[in-house]
Amino acid sequence: MINPLSLSVNGVPYTAAIEPHRTLLSVLREEFGITGPKEGCDDSECGACMVLIDGEPTNACCYLALQAEDREITTIEGISDSPVGSRIQARMLEDGGIQCGFCTPGIVVMATALLSSNPNPNEEEIRNALAGNLCRCTGYQKIVAAVSKAAGDLE
Amino acid sequence: MTIGDRVPRGDGPEKVTGQAKYTADITMTGMLHARFLYAERPRARIIGIDTAAAKALPGVFAVITQDDMLDVRYGFFVKDRTVFATDEVRFEAEVVAAVAALTPEIAAEAVRLIEVDYEDLEPILDVEDALRDDVDLVHAGFASYEQMAGVDRDRNDCAHMTSVKGDVDAGFAEADVVVSARYRSDMSHAAPIEPHAVIAEWQGERVTIWSTSQVPFPARSQVARTLGIPESNVRIIVPHLGGGFGGKCDVHFETHIAALAKVTRRPVKLVFTRREEFLATDKPRHAAIIDLETGVRNDGTITARRAKIILDGGAYSGDSHFASEISIMMLQGPYRIPNLSAEVHTVYTNRTPSGSVRAPGAPQTVWAVEQHTEEIAAQLGMDPIDFRRKNLVEDGDTGQTGQRFDNPNAAACLERALEMAGYGQELPEGEAFGVSCGWWFSLPVASGAYVKLNADGSGTIVTGAQENGSGSVMGMPALAAEELGMAPEQFSIVYQDTSAGPFDLGSAGSQTTMNNGRAVIDAARQVRDELLQLAAHTLEAAVDDLELVDGAVRVRGAPTVAVTIGELAAQAHGGELLLGKGSGQPLPMPEHDASECVGRLFYPAFAHPSFFCHVGRIRVDQDTGVVQVLDWSAAFDFGTILNPIGAEGQVEGGTVQGIGFGLLEGSIYKDGHQQNASLLEYKLQTAIDAPPIKIAFVGGPAPAGPHGARAIGEPPVVGPPAALANGIAAATGARVRHLPMTPERVWESMQATGVN
Ligand code: FES
Ligand code: FES
Repeated sequence: MINPLSLSVNGVPYTAAIEPHRTLLSVLREEFGITGPKEGCDDSECGACMVLIDGEPTNACCYLALQAEDREITTIEGISDSPVGSRIQARMLEDGGIQCGFCTPGIVVMATALLSSNPNPNEEEIRNALAGNLCRCTGYQKIVAAVSKAAGDLE
Repeated sequence: MTIGDRVPRGDGPEKVTGQAKYTADITMTGMLHARFLYAERPRARIIGIDTAAAKALPGVFAVITQDDMLDVRYGFFVKDRTVFATDEVRFEAEVVAAVAALTPEIAAEAVRLIEVDYEDLEPILDVEDALRDDVDLVHAGFASYEQMAGVDRDRNDCAHMTSVKGDVDAGFAEADVVVSARYRSDMSHAAPIEPHAVIAEWQGERVTIWSTSQVPFPARSQVARTLGIPESNVRIIVPHLGGGFGGKCDVHFETHIAALAKVTRRPVKLVFTRREEFLATDKPRHAAIIDLETGVRNDGTITARRAKIILDGGAYSGDSHFASEISIMMLQGPYRIPNLSAEVHTVYTNRTPSGSVRAPGAPQTVWAVEQHTEEIAAQLGMDPIDFRRKNLVEDGDTGQTGQRFDNPNAAACLERALEMAGYGQELPEGEAFGVSCGWWFSLPVASGAYVKLNADGSGTIVTGAQENGSGSVMGMPALAAEELGMAPEQFSIVYQDTSAGPFDLGSAGSQTTMNNGRAVIDAARQVRDELLQLAAHTLEAAVDDLELVDGAVRVRGAPTVAVTIGELAAQAHGGELLLGKGSGQPLPMPEHDASECVGRLFYPAFAHPSFFCHVGRIRVDQDTGVVQVLDWSAAFDFGTILNPIGAEGQVEGGTVQGIGFGLLEGSIYKDGHQQNASLLEYKLQTAIDAPPIKIAFVGGPAPAGPHGARAIGEPPVVGPPAALANGIAAATGARVRHLPMTPERVWESMQATGVN
């Protein structure tokens, strides 16, 4: 069975005809060529696939594409357009919150959601917010510092 | 000045914006999708394989098995493996067949349609059993396998080595106290967040392979061998690599996918699921049994040590011998031990083949040695720190193969880490400090690079080196810029492409900065000489009077008499081009004496050792055995710090990885099957678990590294499990002698010791 789907990604309208079992992640990556969100597990275990769905951080690997009908999706590619997102990106770069970069899209998306709802988080709140985003390279310290400094910059 | 500055990484902008392309992000016109059929049993004879139904499925382009491959075995040290299973499967995720189809779903369906007739055999799962003469051979044909010269092996023991120094019996005879213990460590995983992926495409006789490899050149050799074509016909390109930690060393599935691409005449893509990443990548950290026995005098002088390690190598040897050799070299620890006899056996079993994971062999061995260190101190009634102070190696002391240490800074690391941690202060009930000391090295191997200047005066570095995320290749522009009076951002880098850069071993052995860094510097110096010659001509001055500063060549003492590098580069593009090549020829091994050692020790001494000390403050929940890591202090002698962002990043990331290996990460096996092959059941450290980390870099420039740098990548992961173990013992009075030290094991140890 093939179903029609229409949604908006990073402000651009998309339509597709897809099977109901397809995840939002596979449709973004394979149908629309939006490869910023990564697949690290397919099981909601790592957060590398995180996107915003109507502003809510969500693991796209465990979200059926058809549920996204008429919704507004923001991926890492669209994050640079927001002042919050671009500040986090700048801090991640300057402060060394990136190594291999595979977790980075999900982490920047999650941090953007955090600072959008809580502009002045303390360290514990940042660590709690990022608890679903695994990073094997950095040990998190520089990521947490980058998010904290980005919050400071935005005040 | 760029050396020592906090320079953000050059690949950061594309990574932080989601533009960086990793292997799985690549799609090619006409591309097919691959899936593998796995054995799903630890040991069985293959009676027959029927692929007819799979081949008949619409959308399937090829189903291949070993019958479609050359009869060639491969392996870095021992050639014990074929591309697909031949006759016998030896671990649960051995690849039996591969399918290429229009979609991943069709490929998966075709895999289900392949019928294999097996005769199941009793698996060999216990390493001590496997060493007995009356136990079945994992490889019945072991004696016929080709191997690297010097490898000592027999039956199920695929790597036997010894390390002997002094007179051990005499040493024990001098001892007042002898302490012995056995430690066990489970298999654990590199677990990069990016799973393995491979794409292969042929044009004519040449194949291009995009792969998540940490070692493109060694992988290329094995691909060429197994396909029976020259290395020049194989090009391996690594797009951005999403971490490796050793799990992406060696050759993986490049040959399988190249073979599918060849028969289908289409590009073929493989992307692993997380479950496959656990079961099939066959590069976990070795499970180990470590026996230690040490003689000491009442005053704390160590007189002798006997040690034995048995590593579970799994079904194929891969690059296990690195772990064998390094674990044996860790047995003396950073201590003065005049008499030592050590041996290691690396044993074939019907488990996932193990291999080089970040600091292969080290975290588990150091965890055992450092617990043992404190157990000895306890037996003597000595403070464990004072015992270390008495025994840590100093200038002129020797390592276990007689290697002489030159200002080792081991004691300086200890003192600095203790000071940062506030060691000695009163702590609340249930909290304690845990300490570990150790050392690591940099592999001396060949490595090359080119540097060229473009017509606009910008530069390009073409290097064989591989960037796994650590930032080591991203550091190369600073090295070239320093030589040429330019800025790092003026350089682009062409890297991890076997058809572009000269040979490099890959991101392994903490060797990139040490070897490729020197190659880049050599290449840049050659360009510098060419620039100066050209400038001398243009400025009508002697070369010796010229200096390169801020993008220009100028006459010393007369800075207005100058010509910019841009002008010189443009000029060169009308004549002789500005090109440099460099070979970071391996530095000589430190003086040592391995004459009494058996088995091939590839690096019988450790070049440019980096000493370190970790001090963690932890809390143990007395009711549940849960260990919480409250904060961490680590001191390292890395020589000159080329870029603090990168060096700190390695320490922070490695420490947290090491904490994971210490507390949670271990594969649970039942009947030859991994039981926890997912990130929900095999837990990595999260942002909540990871402690704040304080770092100190001690020691001055090292004698030989580029600008005095030492190895950084692997050392940070070596010490944390040991520090945690000693912290747990300090907090509970109980020793946990099984790694990882899960809450159950901590609790059981407390029960057994009667602490509760
Ligand atoms: S890929 Fe979605 S959480 Fe890991
Ligand atoms: S930077 Fe590599 S996983 Fe986070």
